Amino acid sequence: MKKKSQIQMAETIAVLFVFFILIAVGFMFYGRVILGNVQSQKDEFVQLQSISIAQRAMFLPELQCSEDIVEEITGCIDLFKIEASQDIIAQNSRYYYDLFEFSNITLKQIYPNENNWVIYERKTDTFESKFITNIPVSLYDPVARRYGFGVLTVETLSK
Amino acid sequence: MRTRKNKPLFFRKAQMEILGLAIVVVIVLVAMIFVLRFLILDKEPEYRKPFLSSEMASNMLNSFLKTAAAQCSQLTMTELLVDCAQSKTITCSDGKNSCDYAEATAKSIFNKTLSEWRVKYGFSAYTDVDNPFISLGEGCTGEKRSKLFAIPSSTATVYVYLELC
Repeated sequence: MKKKSQIQMAETIAVLFVFFILIAVGFMFYGRVILGNVQSQKDEFVQLQSISIAQRAMFLPELQCSEDIVEEITGCIDLFKIEASQDIIAQNSRYYYDLFEFSNITLKQIYPNENNWVIYERKTDTFESKFITNIPVSLYDPVARRYGFGVLTVETLSK
Repeated sequence: MRTRKNKPLFFRKAQMEILGLAIVVVIVLVAMIFVLRFLILDKEPEYRKPFLSSEMASNMLNSFLKTAAAQCSQLTMTELLVDCAQSKTITCSDGKNSCDYAEATAKSIFNKTLSEWRVKYGFSAYTDVDNPFISLGEGCTGEKRSKLFAIPSSTATVYVYLELC
């Protein structure tokens, strides 16, 4: 009788052991799923942030072509505004940090000549992800009144 | 007839054990379905790509068509393409006609941009879709983002099409 109850006790303990292991595995898996969801939301935020910074750069009035002073032309950068905007951006780095955060914005002329300009640069060594967005743009020469072809590259770094 | 109460203890115990086994099997199946759902079917979402591809196709074509040809009296690519579709009367200072010049410029720009970024593309300019007068790139077989620009001219509408894979 005593031996039988000991066996039953051992059986109950084994069942409880397996049960708790299953519970632990379940919690571990649940934790992983929750962590995965958090990571996915973070990725979404970082990717949308990079798009947002690229759009801010693309529609920056300091660079954008304009007609009759007021009308701004999308997808176009005024070649004469570039140098002026480089100085303004360097002098007001705090204001532009709020707009572009940790990112590098460069403009490359591809046609008719090849040329490069750094519009904004703020680096960090401790970044987790890096996104590069290339935006084809027209480069307008207001003196000659003609368009060239260029690419605005926005490299965003996120922690 | 024997009632449930009258069943021997052995049978009831066996039924309970089978029921326990069935519950374990159900739990394992549910766990397996969850594991498959989260580990295999859960792909990394891509938010940037669809937006960037459609923006890129549109901006690329828009900027290309506005671009002034350096050796063709600063005529735009739009004007060269229209001439190419109509009379081919324009000859550039390097001796190329409007078709060849527009094609060479498009090739040069796409090589320095799309090909460098490893983006496969298909570019064509046509009045008749089956017979394009300019055709560049391999084109896409699967998923693609495209942009079509229509340029009105005196004889026929010129279409400029760019697809990014």
